[in-house]
Order: sequence, then structure tokens, then C-alpha cells
Amino acid sequence: MDDKTNPQSRSSFNRRSFLAGAAGGAMFPLAARAAEPATTTIPSTQDPTLPVPVTLRVNGHDNALNIDARTTVLDALREHIGLTGSKKGCDHGQCGACTVLIEGRRVLSCLTLALSAQDHEITTIEGLSNGARLHPMQQAFIDQDAFQCGYCTPGQIMSAIACVKEGHAGNDEDIREYMSGNICRCAAYPNIVAAVKQAAPEILSG
Amino acid sequence: MTTAAPAPKANMGQPIPRYDAVAKVTGTAQYAADMPLRDPAYAYLVTSAIAKGRVDNFDLSEAQKVRGVVDIVTHENAEHLEPAKFFSNGGYASTTNQPLRSPDIAEEGQIIAVVLADTYEAAREAAHRVKVSYTAATPTASFHSPGTVAARAKGQLAMFKDDPKVGDFDKAFEEAEVQISAEYETPPQHHNPMELFATSVAWNGDSLTIYEPSQFVHGLKNGVATQLGIDPDRVHVVNPYVGGAFGSKGSMTPRTAIMASISRRLRRPVKLVATRDQGFNVSTYRAETRHRVELGAMSDGKLTALRHEGWEISSRADAYCVGGTKTTTRLYDCPNVDSLVWIVRADRNTPGFMRSPPEVPYLFALESAMDELAYQLKMDPIELRRVNDTNREPIGGKPYTSRSLMACFDEGAKAFGWAERNREPRSMADGEWLIGYGCATTCYPTQMAPAAARVRLRRDGRVRVEIAGHEIGNGAYTVIAQAAATRLEVPVERVTVVIGDSDLPPAPVAGGSNSTASTCSTVMMVCDQVRQRLLKAMMPNQGQTVGQTPSGGASRSDQRLDLDREAAFDALGVSVIEEYGEWKPDGAPADSFRAMHNGQVRMVGGPEFGGKIAYAFGADFVEVRVNRFTHEIRVPRVLGAFAAGHIMNPRTARSQLMGGLIWGVASALHEATELDERYARYVNDNLADYLVPVNADIPDVEVILLSEEDTQINPAGVKGLGELGNVGTNAAVCNAIFHATGQRIRRLPVRLEKIEV
Repeated sequence: MDDKTNPQSRSSFNRRSFLAGAAGGAMFPLAARAAEPATTTIPSTQDPTLPVPVTLRVNGHDNALNIDARTTVLDALREHIGLTGSKKGCDHGQCGACTVLIEGRRVLSCLTLALSAQDHEITTIEGLSNGARLHPMQQAFIDQDAFQCGYCTPGQIMSAIACVKEGHAGNDEDIREYMSGNICRCAAYPNIVAAVKQAAPEILSG
Repeated sequence: MTTAAPAPKANMGQPIPRYDAVAKVTGTAQYAADMPLRDPAYAYLVTSAIAKGRVDNFDLSEAQKVRGVVDIVTHENAEHLEPAKFFSNGGYASTTNQPLRSPDIAEEGQIIAVVLADTYEAAREAAHRVKVSYTAATPTASFHSPGTVAARAKGQLAMFKDDPKVGDFDKAFEEAEVQISAEYETPPQHHNPMELFATSVAWNGDSLTIYEPSQFVHGLKNGVATQLGIDPDRVHVVNPYVGGAFGSKGSMTPRTAIMASISRRLRRPVKLVATRDQGFNVSTYRAETRHRVELGAMSDGKLTALRHEGWEISSRADAYCVGGTKTTTRLYDCPNVDSLVWIVRADRNTPGFMRSPPEVPYLFALESAMDELAYQLKMDPIELRRVNDTNREPIGGKPYTSRSLMACFDEGAKAFGWAERNREPRSMADGEWLIGYGCATTCYPTQMAPAAARVRLRRDGRVRVEIAGHEIGNGAYTVIAQAAATRLEVPVERVTVVIGDSDLPPAPVAGGSNSTASTCSTVMMVCDQVRQRLLKAMMPNQGQTVGQTPSGGASRSDQRLDLDREAAFDALGVSVIEEYGEWKPDGAPADSFRAMHNGQVRMVGGPEFGGKIAYAFGADFVEVRVNRFTHEIRVPRVLGAFAAGHIMNPRTARSQLMGGLIWGVASALHEATELDERYARYVNDNLADYLVPVNADIPDVEVILLSEEDTQINPAGVKGLGELGNVGTNAAVCNAIFHATGQRIRRLPVRLEKIEV
């Protein structure tokens, strides 16, 4: 298996680079740290609030950041990369407004540390449309008027795409159940179900 | 046409997709916290753990050690801010309990310190390291707590004028053949819009820019200027999209001026995103209410006596109440009516507007009581409403401008299959599920307020409309674009709408469902000014009178602007025509426009509309299923039939009404802020424990839009409907539960433990 696609090796790579990065400060390039032994430890005097280098791959682009180790993927996207499409509705994983895709799976970005998402492919609402051509789920949300204020919409759309790909969009009841992690306070729910139904065949065939 | 985009009936616009649809599905719509700031200091609030008492001491030593902390502001070092007058008394503020002014604490969750740091993570950590010593007194939490003070609402706040009454209730009630007397309760609820209460501020010299979700940018601008003691024209509120509001973003909360003053001191932009739990106290909420409703009727169902007494919780600082008796005393024909509203003060944050503020609690009581009366009379509840339907309200004898209540009931009943209902309680079942049908009246006052707009038309047909309206999910961009496109006879794609910015001509608060009526009437009027200039150029001898109507609005002329526009521009010798205009509804007070520019609202309509009374109506139908063993309650079907004058866009109208119906179901079955009565503290202050419906809770929702025309309300002919859908639905659910189980539940929300049968 190619090292680049082996999640196991990438995972350990990440932990190593985090430990080394925290220990070695912010200035070492990624490759140099990756070469260090896995046994590197954090000295007890090290301040854990020092920024650490993190590289996030978002919508096909690498973003090299120097951020607090506690930064979530959501805050990294919004406050450091400038992608504000993903929304903060609760910061507790209770509302779904921050939903993004990581390696194609829907993930609550407010509950995911940026460090743990390194080198994984992150897809946000900004990465869906191809120029002026909207993703079928985006078009379906427009056609079915599946939003009002629009704040939960990026999360709903990311979740809806995953819902279809998971095979949970076969009937209305399934869609309702598997879209229930995304709260819409405007209560566009029936229209969201209609949008998922509309887009599902095109997504599954495409 | 699809379910989402119903075909327009008579007096309805086209169901075009939302103007802001692409921005919202691509993540490019910028909400307040999305606005980029250069090197902001991140703010994190420290809020009070007690509801009553004082701060004795702050120990900031641990907090100050956190790397990246820039400043910690408490009452000991906060800048003095000017007091702000209460919104419901003609001011701007959601509360007059201004934090950081003294060590005194008057509500749980009161802001007692603000931590500023270079990163969000550092601000959060340091805020949790602030140690506070309090002297706590025992707070009064709610109605039954010792220490509450109740007083008549009348005279306590400008918004509550009087307790409506007419005839001799006592005598008529005593002589009635059938009597109902029952008490009802509704719980505290929080709006919980998905968008958090964010505030970003940045100074440029002595000019302040505020990015904050607001239903009233001109109110916020003037309110903050007042508190900071600066010229309002130095304050610029920018807010093109609001991520849900429902009333929580209509008045100025204390946080905004605090952030602005800190930013001024730090000489650095400040960004606050209050957490979800802090939001339960940062803004307002729907307070709990109690009601006693007494109905007297003759055996044919004719009401002879109606009395509605309400009790509402407010804070110690402010007298707030919704006073829904102004509507419940006028809804049905009844010669003897009495009412009384009480405000009960407790140690709580000040309540405020939440979607259909008066109607949700007060019609729950009245429409439940009407159902109880129908059963006592052995009468169909729809027929009871028909017998008491009226075109003239009983208190002042004023005529309704239009009233399609029974048409809504009849169309709704037909679509719902009401006739299949066996009226006996507990008579319908499907296996282990008891089935019940319930219905209720909904109504909402038609309200309007003064507004101004600027409209620019280019020779090539491009239009730009500027008005400081608010897109809160109501479809404001869309309906304003449609109004301008229709009036100027251009395709709607040619219209650019700019809203949500306090540098634009003022529009009123997006509240009281006045937004579409006010902004569209204004935009139409200013478009007509543009039309007049063109028509004059085209017909120099007669143009002055073309298209004018006596009311000051303008009707369509035979002249085709779309064909002759370019020639008219050429005749005028210009390439752009721009007009500014100020519109006010009939009956608006003389100081309307001055107040409008000061960020104050002069709203008219509903029961206070000169010699008339203006309401939108509807009928809600609900099917419930109650499991006879587990008592689980499901709502498989909800249907609402509504008439609201001219419908600008059946798509956005249907969506708002559908969302409203779902809010109504939530009001009956889900939503309640739980109060720890020992500490006057909100317990379920998060989206996992504060129950709002999720997709799986909501199956089939049907909205029927009736055709209705009303020429007396405003030039657009629009009755606001954003708050129409969620009125009465809670009663319809409880009425259906009674039909299913034989048990009358008078205290919301209905949870399965309340079902006893």
C-alpha cells in the first residue's frame, strides 16, 4: 500500500509530527520533524499553549497554519483559513451546522481537533461547486426551498451528500432519521427531505 | 410548479427561487461572525453563577497568566456607558440591567467580566480561570416562588395600552347556559436561532463598524451611539444575512456597546461569539405565562361572555409583557368581554419578543377553551367558530379590513378530511395508537411601519434598490426584488437589492411581521416616483397625473415602460434615474419619519389601525397519535390554511408558514426552558437539552394559501405571515390529544408523562 493512502501510517505520522512540533517549536519544516524518531516526548516544562504547525488539506489545497493545539477544524477553517461557510451553531456537536466531509465521511468539525485532521482530505461547502455549476445537492436545496435563514444550510448540504452516499436516502423515513443530526430552526425539514430525494439519483449515478 | 413552489392563485406573485439562494447554498453568504477582521482580539464572556447578589472579589491571577491574554474587563475597570432606554418603552435596549456598571447582580448569566486574548482558545481558557467570590441572596424564580411582585400591566409600559373590556361580563357569565372556566400555562422558551449572538466591532478613527446579527440595524446604530455618547452617523451596522432571529435580535443587548468600548480602549477590532449557553441570558426569551379563561355561551353556541386574565413573568429591571388580550378579546363576536393582564417580577433576565409574542401563549388559552366549550355544547369546534365569526370586533365595534377565517376553516377541513372524524373522544384508533383530530384558529395582526428607500433605474433596465431591511430567512431580498421588478417592468434578474446596512435608508425592525408590508409598500412607492419621471418625459403634457391614485400610491398605467424606457431616458437626456422616498402607513403618528431616522419604530396595525382593525387569519388542523401503552405522542399530519392578503411569493410564504406550523407543534410538545427554582437558573441551556424539533419529529406538513385581497391595509396589499403559522397550533395539538385520549392538558409542553389514560 502506498504510504500516502495508508491511514495507519498517516495517523502515526501525524502524531509524531505533532509531538515533535510541540517539542521543537514552530519553525521546523514538516519534513524535518517527520524524520525524527517516534520517541520524541514533550519536556514537562513545555508550554502546551504555544502554537504548533498544522497543515490542513481543504478542498484540494494545503493550508500551512501555526495555531493553538486546541483549535478545532471549525475554528481553523473559519478563523485561520478564511473559509467561513461552515458555521458555528453550538460548538458542542449538538446542531450539525459545522458538518464537513473528512475523507468523504460527515464529521462535526467543532468536535474535531485540527491536529487530528492533518493530511486528511477535508471538503467544505466551498469545495462543492465546480465554478458556476452547482453540486446537485446545492441545486436541489434551491429548487425545494430547503432553507430560510441559510445558517444551517452548509451543514445540511454536507450531511445530505453523505446521507445519500451512505445509502440512507432510500425513503423519506430514512432521510428524516439520518438527517436528524442537523437542526434547522427555521424548520425547513419537509423541504430538506424533498431536496435529498431530488439529488440522490444524480449523486448515486454520478 | 412543485410542492415547494405552489402555483400562484389570484392576487399572488410568482414563486421564484430566493434571491439569496446561491449565496446560501455555496457558503458565500456572509453572516456577522464571517466578516473578516484584521488581527482581532477575541472576547469571551464570564457570566454570573448566581441570580441575585453581588460580586465581592475577582481573582484574576490565574487568568492573566494565560498566554495571549490582552485584557480582562470587569465592573472595576470598565468604561462608563450611558444608560439605554427599554425597547418596549420607546428606547433601544433589550434590558435596562446594564452589566459591568457595579458589582450588583440581578440575573443569572449576567455578564460580569470580558476576557480579551489573541486567540479564541486563550480567551476561553482564561475566562474559565477567572475566580469570582459572590455574596448570594435567595432569588425569586417564577410565579410560585416567594418574593414575586405582581402588578397590573396597565401603566407600566408604553406598549401595553389598556385592558380591553365591553358590556357586563359578570352578569352575562352568570346568565349563560353553558360556562367554561379553566386555567392554562405556557413555559419559558428561548428562540435559539442557529446563529449565535456574535458581535464584531472595529474602529476607524472615531467611526465604528459593527457586524452583528440584527433585526433592526437602525435601532442598533442609534442605541449603541447613545450608549457610547457619539454621533449616530459615526456608527455603521453591517448585516446582510441574519442566521435566524425570531425576535431575539430585534433590540440592542448590552453586549454591543461593551464590545465597542473595549475595542476603542484596546485600539483593536474585537470579536465576540457568545456561546450557546450564554445566549440564554445574553438576549431575551419568551417568559412563562398563566391564564384564566372564562367563556359563557347559549346552547346554540353563541358567546355571551368572555373573560381572559393573564399573568406574565418579567425581570426586576423592566416591565415587559406581551398582553395578548388585545387580540383574544376581539377575535370572536361577544357582547360582554373583560380582561386583565398582570406583570409578575422575578429575579430573571428581561423577556422579549419571540415569534408571535402575544398570540402563542394567549391563543393557546383561548383556543383550548373554545374547544372545551365545543365539547360541552356537543358542537363541532369549527361550527362554534362559525357561529361566533364576525366582521366587526366587539370592543370598539371596528370593522376588520378583511377576514377569511371561515374560508380557511372550510378549505382546511376539506383537505384534512375533518368530516371523517368521529367527535367522541377516544373513538378513533389504529392498533395500539389512539388517534385524535384537533383544530384551532390562528390570527396575527397586520402591522406596518414607516420606511424609506432609494431606487436607481438605468437606461438598460438594471435596477438597484437600497433599503435597510433585514434578511432573517423571511425572503426579504426576494420579495423586495419582486416588488421593484413588477413596478418598473423589468425581469427580476435585473434587480439588485441591498439591505442589512445602517447606511441605507431606514426600514423598521423586522418584527411584528411588518417587514414585507412596510418595505414592499415603500419600494413600490419609490419605484413609482421613478416611473413618474419617465412617464413625464414620455408624455410631457399629461404625465403629471398618469398612474396617480388618491392614496398617494400609484396604479399601473397603460404605458409600457419595458418598451418605451430607453426612449424616455433619451428624452430626459440621462442614463440613470435615482429616487429616494419615505413612506408611512395610514394612521402613523406625525413624528414617524423623525423617529424612523432615530431608529425608533412607529408601528400601526392590528387592533390599532385608526377606525379599522387588520388581521391575517388561518385555521390549523392536527392529527395526533398517542400510544395507549407507552403514551408516546406523535404528530403524523399538520395542515394549515391561511389567508394573508397579497402573497408576494407563494414559495417563500409557504416555507415560512410551514416553519411556523412546526414551531407550533414544538410549542405544544417539545420546547420549554427548564428552570432550577432554587437558583433562578436555566438548566437546559444547550441544543441537546432544550428540545427543538429535528427532521425525524416532523412528518407531513401541508400549507394551503387562500386567495385574499385587501385594499385597506397598505399599497402592497400584504398582511405579514411570518408569525401567522405558529399561532394556535399548540392548542390544535392539545385539542387533538383530548380527542384521542379524553384528557385535557392545559399546561405546556405536553410530555408523555402528562398523559394519564
